[in-house]
Amino acid sequence: MPHDATRRPGRKRSSLPVDAGVVAALLGLVALAVFASASLRPHDAPALELRPALLPAYLALSLLRLLAAYIFALLAALAVGHAAARSPAARRVVLPVLDVLQSVPILGFFPVAVAFFIRVTAGSALGVEAAAVFLIFTCMFWNLAFGVYESLATLPEDVGLAARQLGLRGAARWSRLVLPAVFPNLVYNSLLSWANGFYFLIASEIIAVGPARYTLPGLGSYLAQSVVVGRYDQTVAALLCLLAVTAAMHLLVWGPLETYAERFHFDESGDRPQVPRVARVLMRSQVVRGLLGRVVVPGAEAGFRLAGRTLDAIASRRGLQAAVALPPLVLAALAVRHGYHTFVDAPLSPALLALPGDLLLSLLRVGFGVGASALLAVPLAALVASRPRLRTPALAVIQVAASVPAAAFFPLIVALVARGLGLEGAALLLSLSTMFWYVLFNVMGAAATIPREMNEAARSLGLSRLGRLRHVFVPAVLPGLVTGCLTAWGAGWNAMILCEYLVVDGRTYAVRGIGASLDRATYEVADPQVVAASLALMVTLIVAVNRAFWAPLYQRVTTRYKLDA
Amino acid sequence: MSGSADGREVLLRAQQVEQFYDRRIRILGPLDLDVHDGEFLTLVGPSGCGKSTLLRIVAGLLEPTAGSIEIGGVPLVGVNRDAAMVFQSFALFPWMSVVENVALGLEARGMPPLERLKRAEKYIDLVGLSGYERAFPKELSRGMKQLVGLARALALEPELLCMDEPFSALDVLTARAMRDLVLDLWQSPAVKTKSILLVTHSIEEAVALSDRVVVLRANPGRIAEVVDLTGLARPRRPGSAEVSEVVDRMYGLLA
Repeated sequence: MPHDATRRPGRKRSSLPVDAGVVAALLGLVALAVFASASLRPHDAPALELRPALLPAYLALSLLRLLAAYIFALLAALAVGHAAARSPAARRVVLPVLDVLQSVPILGFFPVAVAFFIRVTAGSALGVEAAAVFLIFTCMFWNLAFGVYESLATLPEDVGLAARQLGLRGAARWSRLVLPAVFPNLVYNSLLSWANGFYFLIASEIIAVGPARYTLPGLGSYLAQSVVVGRYDQTVAALLCLLAVTAAMHLLVWGPLETYAERFHFDESGDRPQVPRVARVLMRSQVVRGLLGRVVVPGAEAGFRLAGRTLDAIASRRGLQAAVALPPLVLAALAVRHGYHTFVDAPLSPALLALPGDLLLSLLRVGFGVGASALLAVPLAALVASRPRLRTPALAVIQVAASVPAAAFFPLIVALVARGLGLEGAALLLSLSTMFWYVLFNVMGAAATIPREMNEAARSLGLSRLGRLRHVFVPAVLPGLVTGCLTAWGAGWNAMILCEYLVVDGRTYAVRGIGASLDRATYEVADPQVVAASLALMVTLIVAVNRAFWAPLYQRVTTRYKLDA
Repeated sequence: MSGSADGREVLLRAQQVEQFYDRRIRILGPLDLDVHDGEFLTLVGPSGCGKSTLLRIVAGLLEPTAGSIEIGGVPLVGVNRDAAMVFQSFALFPWMSVVENVALGLEARGMPPLERLKRAEKYIDLVGLSGYERAFPKELSRGMKQLVGLARALALEPELLCMDEPFSALDVLTARAMRDLVLDLWQSPAVKTKSILLVTHSIEEAVALSDRVVVLRANPGRIAEVVDLTGLARPRRPGSAEVSEVVDRMYGLLA
């Protein structure tokens, strides 16, 4: 769709500076790509070159991996979420599966998935790259799929009927109804997905399969290696790089997209949809306008049609659905067979006996993390909600902070340990740094949907600040709070794998817990029985708690505190 | 096509239509209903009488549990391409401008861009919204939104215009103005659509507009009576003796 807001007569400004900037940026990208491909190393080289001059190349490679994974995640999320919203049969399969997979510690399954990819591609560099992209995909996919499902399930019924009545089908239905309807939610969740992708970059770029270890050149591996060898100056350089990229993405991608997404909200009233400032500035450039008219718009339209047709085909044909579902099923079957042989072909490991105690300790840590996150997030979100101007910067800070991989904090933690905080305190702090953002993010999302009239009613009834917090804010954000806690609970178990066992500057710091046992069995002693058993224990506990605690709680909270009467 | 009592052709015939909720609770029918070519037919009744359900069945948006809809003797399968719908909640696409909303159905039917733009502009003009083509639904008042909904439906030039309580979400004055507009458009040679099926809970509205009024009773929805108003001359002034008499009789039917 062309927008004529850009062709505003009157103020005629020179397009030259913007043109020059755009051309320079394009040339820079090309140069970076050439540089990056020239500095590629063999994928199984033992160590990475830690020259800071190579950082831009590493960064570009990491971004490419993230982008590839994101595109896959986006397409898969659209197909799966749409299927779940449209067909009750698909819903009965998709929702429980997503629910379990989302809260299962993905990190623990990395070795299995990686072994699969590397075996399929016979250990080529491409296989390791594919494995890394797949790992990033698994961090990005779940919340996107839920987001698509949620926004389609809450689409006003009449709008869906109107689309049918007007004869929208196939690709047209996707491009005119489904994609616009899910757009705002997708933008919001994409932010989270990218933060997740950055967070797990380290785990995705250093891939260990038993004794073999593959290091892919990238920002994550750079960070990790600099910590391992104790070159904290390089850690800081890489971190600054990461912060700069996430901040820039916020300014140039997510902020403008959020502004643009406002036109897709089902509000009764509001201002005319805004064109993001970045877009307005770029539109002054003739290069951009030419590219847009000749390349981007036709390309995007063709892409939209193709995506619509592909998604329509996946959504409407049983055979294709089965084909999409096949690889995960094969993977699961392989894992079961592998697990069976692990236990039958060898004597039982004595380390298995300690696992239930480990599990309990980790459970306490995750529980503490969830509780502390909730207690911190609610007042903070209330503060942001009472000052709307804080919202955009707050989202930026959250996204940037949530993107910082846990390993970046390791040097800090080591310093804290040295000052007598204790390993336990360090592990708790680290896991909190993972979990807190999910809760805050979701509570802020829920707070944004509180109707203005509700706050006005509370004020005119004479409720105090505290009264408004108690009677309006907290009940209204409860569904978001529960969702956030549920997500944090899932992320918390991943955090246990990352935080209970650290290697910094050649020394190992570990507390007792299921994550530490898993790590030790994977990296130190190669005990497949402990790996399998600790994973099985964790998954069983997580699913049981989800079923017995979170699901009923969510049900109660959403029926009681839903905002539309 | 078969003839009818008043000499008009039957456009659409509902036969033994039934609708169940959850396979056990009957909410509608069984009932028969003919919509005649060129008539203004209104379904009126208390909430829960299934009038909106019947309308959705006629529009092909809902498949009846039993019974059939026939158009010119051909059974209806899927969405009724000879009908267009106006929704109580407007159901506009907030991400599209007025003209894009109105042209959307034409685009879905494969009309070339220039032609559909021309057609959309014609109907935007007819409902009195010219000048607002590039506005977004958010910027319009509720009455104007419903005008867009009306233009969007009329632009398809359907045989039958289905309207689901189109005036209930509007204030009294706007609702009355829109009623007059619908009547004007129906009588205007510029508008191709000549048959209208309206659903309302307002007896006054039904009497002011219709050729025939189908009065429905609730639990389950059934036809209580069909009142022929073709003898009642237009314009029908609210409060005039003839109109009041009909209104009172219909309140009696529903009591």
